[in-house]
Amino acid sequence: MTIAGRIYRRLAEAFPHEFRMAYGDQMLEAGEDSMRRLANKHGAAGIVRLIVDIALHLPLEYLSEMRQDMRYAARALAKSPSYALVGILSLALGIGLTTNVYTQAWALLTRTLTGVANPHQLVTAETPASYPYIERYREQKDLLTGVAAVQNSVEFNVALPGQTAKPDRVYGQLVSPDYFSVLGMEPQRGRLLSAELDKTGITPAVVISDRYWRSHFNADPDTIGQSIRLNGQNATIVGVTPTKFDGALTVTPAEIFVPITVPATLAPELGDDVLHNRNLKPFQLLMRLAPGVTVDSAESALDGITRRLDKDDPLAPPQADKAKRLVLMGAATRVQIPRDLRPKLLGFYTFLMTIIIAIACLNLATMALARGIGRRKELAIRLGVGASRFRLIRQMVTEGILLSLLGGAAGFALAWALAAITAHTRLPAGSPLNPDRSVDWQTAIFAFMLAVACGIGFSILPALQATKTDVAPALKQGMALQLSGHKRFGLRNLAMSAQVAGSLLLLLVTGFLVLGILKSNSIQTNFNPKTMAFLFIDPVRDGYSPEKSQAFFDRLPDRLRSSPAITSFALAVQPPFLPGDDGDFHLTVDDPHASSPVQKGVLKQTVGAGFFAVLNEPILAGREFDERDQRLDTTPAQANIGPPLPLVLNQKAARAFFGSVNGIGEHLRGDRRTYEVVGVVPDMKDASGMTQGIAYLPLTRHDFAQPPSGGITIVARGHSAEDALGGVRSVVASMDPNLTLFNVQTLSEYLELIRAAMRSALRTFGGIGLFGLVLSAVGLAGVTGYAVAQRRKEIGIRMALGAHKTQVLGLVLREGATLVAVGTVVGFLGSVALAKAMSAITTEFSDAFSLGVGDPRLLIGAPLLLAGLALLACYIPASRAMAIDPLKALRQE
Amino acid sequence: MTKVDLQSFLPLKTQWFHIMLSLAGGEQHGYGIMQDVLERTTGKVHLWPATLYGSIKRLIEADLIGESNDRPAPELDDARRRYYRLTSLGKRVLDAECERLQELVRTIQVKRTMVTE
Repeated sequence: MTIAGRIYRRLAEAFPHEFRMAYGDQMLEAGEDSMRRLANKHGAAGIVRLIVDIALHLPLEYLSEMRQDMRYAARALAKSPSYALVGILSLALGIGLTTNVYTQAWALLTRTLTGVANPHQLVTAETPASYPYIERYREQKDLLTGVAAVQNSVEFNVALPGQTAKPDRVYGQLVSPDYFSVLGMEPQRGRLLSAELDKTGITPAVVISDRYWRSHFNADPDTIGQSIRLNGQNATIVGVTPTKFDGALTVTPAEIFVPITVPATLAPELGDDVLHNRNLKPFQLLMRLAPGVTVDSAESALDGITRRLDKDDPLAPPQADKAKRLVLMGAATRVQIPRDLRPKLLGFYTFLMTIIIAIACLNLATMALARGIGRRKELAIRLGVGASRFRLIRQMVTEGILLSLLGGAAGFALAWALAAITAHTRLPAGSPLNPDRSVDWQTAIFAFMLAVACGIGFSILPALQATKTDVAPALKQGMALQLSGHKRFGLRNLAMSAQVAGSLLLLLVTGFLVLGILKSNSIQTNFNPKTMAFLFIDPVRDGYSPEKSQAFFDRLPDRLRSSPAITSFALAVQPPFLPGDDGDFHLTVDDPHASSPVQKGVLKQTVGAGFFAVLNEPILAGREFDERDQRLDTTPAQANIGPPLPLVLNQKAARAFFGSVNGIGEHLRGDRRTYEVVGVVPDMKDASGMTQGIAYLPLTRHDFAQPPSGGITIVARGHSAEDALGGVRSVVASMDPNLTLFNVQTLSEYLELIRAAMRSALRTFGGIGLFGLVLSAVGLAGVTGYAVAQRRKEIGIRMALGAHKTQVLGLVLREGATLVAVGTVVGFLGSVALAKAMSAITTEFSDAFSLGVGDPRLLIGAPLLLAGLALLACYIPASRAMAIDPLKALRQE
Repeated sequence: MTKVDLQSFLPLKTQWFHIMLSLAGGEQHGYGIMQDVLERTTGKVHLWPATLYGSIKRLIEADLIGESNDRPAPELDDARRRYYRLTSLGKRVLDAECERLQELVRTIQVKRTMVTE
């Protein structure tokens, strides 16, 4: 045979089985006959045409079979609506929740920034750096093609053209002018910042985000060139970022991008000569690796440079210190995760998604297995009339995929709804905007792929099992045919036990998290929380000079004290009870006799005079800050000269440093200063339930001259929170009506916001746990129901021979109970091991896990709840078995 | 069968039309249809084998043609061959299609005379 003939034959043999049965021989004959004729008449061209014809029709035939399969599947599902409904619901929950985890966590960790060229070349350092260091990094042209400096979550008071009301508080970034060129970004409108154009001394040019342009300028093309007031100074909008870009290196969306070449009068963050002071490290690094340079090699090179630079710095760690000075991590995504943590986090979420979807699939598989038994006769007939086993399997898998796609569509809708709820949840503090976690086409593809995978996943084994039929007995006995090994641990029982185990595992792991969150979510106050309110004020960003701002804060306490509406008040950088802090703070006991001083990390909080008095917290030893401390000058230039700064520790921190709840008069070194401990206060739980070691630093004139980015908090109490708010408002208005008070909140509102964030976590994890519970109950009920139906005859005989109803009940329940028991034990051991492993490998979950794992309510309650529900699910079909009429059952065969 | 049902098949695909036209003369097997079409159109329409059998399959599914149980005399028969015939629906659809084409030809002729005048 010629080569063309062989190709033709191969292609003809590749056609679907049914097509070959009907037309295969004839098509071969016709093809081979015409081949001879065509070769004579048209030569090679004719042969090619013949081969092309058959090659084109091959996929068409498969497509047409698939269409047929789909139609058949739709009919089959319509015939058993209860199976279809339960299946769609299970899959909708499974796919919906998995997609939700994907959008909420996975995408946040993996989705790269929009509008950025080659995002995987972008890296950042885990710790911020000083600007002089950044300039040295920039010189490493063979390692890095660009290095930008970024300050995050910088707040600006923005007044738009024609705005008469008080300016808005807007989140932005302070960036070096090369920021956008490092990102490799093209403007949507106008131009982006550039090192050539945005020099010091000209009218500041700023870029706004696409979102801000749409929300505040109605996407008006004439926005470019408009002048706005930024912290009371003039600035020009020169460009708009591409759609969906709202800042690199930040979770908080940035709406305005301001170059660091602007004067410090516009951005107080640039005070203290921050661009030339190597002791101040406020900048995050945004670097682009040169082509071919790996993160590891860049890291070791930059680490070496940093070490050499540190040699000239008397305050840097000693050169003998082997710890890395600079650790790199990828900056391609919105959230930056240290390189060693990333696989663990992704692993956890993969595991969570896998187990959710596996449970849904196992549930469907048990139902499909049970259903397969009912369809043995139908399948046997189709095998008998010449359908191939492959075709039947494909048919059943198609049914699975169809069901799964329906479930997937519902699941996608569920994920969309959950994302919409999350988008409307306000964040507890700080940013008014949520990062974009909306459902998009990538999510849709994810859900679709998931649905197809599920459909194949849960139907392939049952299909293999169901088509493994001896045609003759199946035709004769139909339903009553016994599955081999039906009483032992068959595939179905294995799937069922695995499902119970998986459900329990999910229930326990999510339960640990939920309980951990619940336990941590109880803020204790020594006063009525309805009497407290917070306000934030920032005179410098309202256009005050540093001196004027200091004078304002010098006068403010007396004015507040004279207001009858305010019973007590204090100033602080942050409101109390906020989880988190100003950052880690490393302190060393200043003991000249100690050979190797021990450095300990605590949290830092900056609070003003009378802060603990407002919170009604007792002072355990020493004193708290008073207004003398508030008048200290602590500019960085003053560091290391003058007397040590006062410092208040909480119990936990005091114990860590001195082994007791005292240490008054002891000296601590850290952050280039010496501190003297003047007081010890009780530990307070923050809103995330943690009590951490905290060092309280005094709020001083330096903070008033250069308020931190979030402004200064006024914490006030009155007869009611509203009284206190009104009091502060009128006092501030009487001093200067143009000052802005922002983020005004009562403590109750504030706590409610924190709880709302917690509730959203509870809803997600609780929902996932509950989902497992419901599915396993549904699965068990289905499987037991089929087992009963299968054994009708046996039960009938037993009852005819005088078996009691309770004996029949026991018979049926025993089987279910064994499955549940095996699954429960496996699931229990698995979840405890998993929780231990999770809290060991990552700190992200350890807090929640450590609070939740030891809880007997969960450890005993969850397995009991699951087992109880599972037995109830078995009981319903078992009670139906009791109602079997022996006469009818026997006559039926 | 109503008129609407017939219309839903029209216009017939070229391959379908030629296959059905070949069967209008009587039962025929697949290869025979291919030869017949080739002769009738003097080689202009070539039904390639995969196209032919794919079309036959779809014509059977649409109930326009069916497999025939009548077979030729044993000495002329090949056991592998299957014979096809038009169904009654097929006949009516073919008639309707021919009618439609004739109508078309008439329209063209009228137009042509108008142009030449």
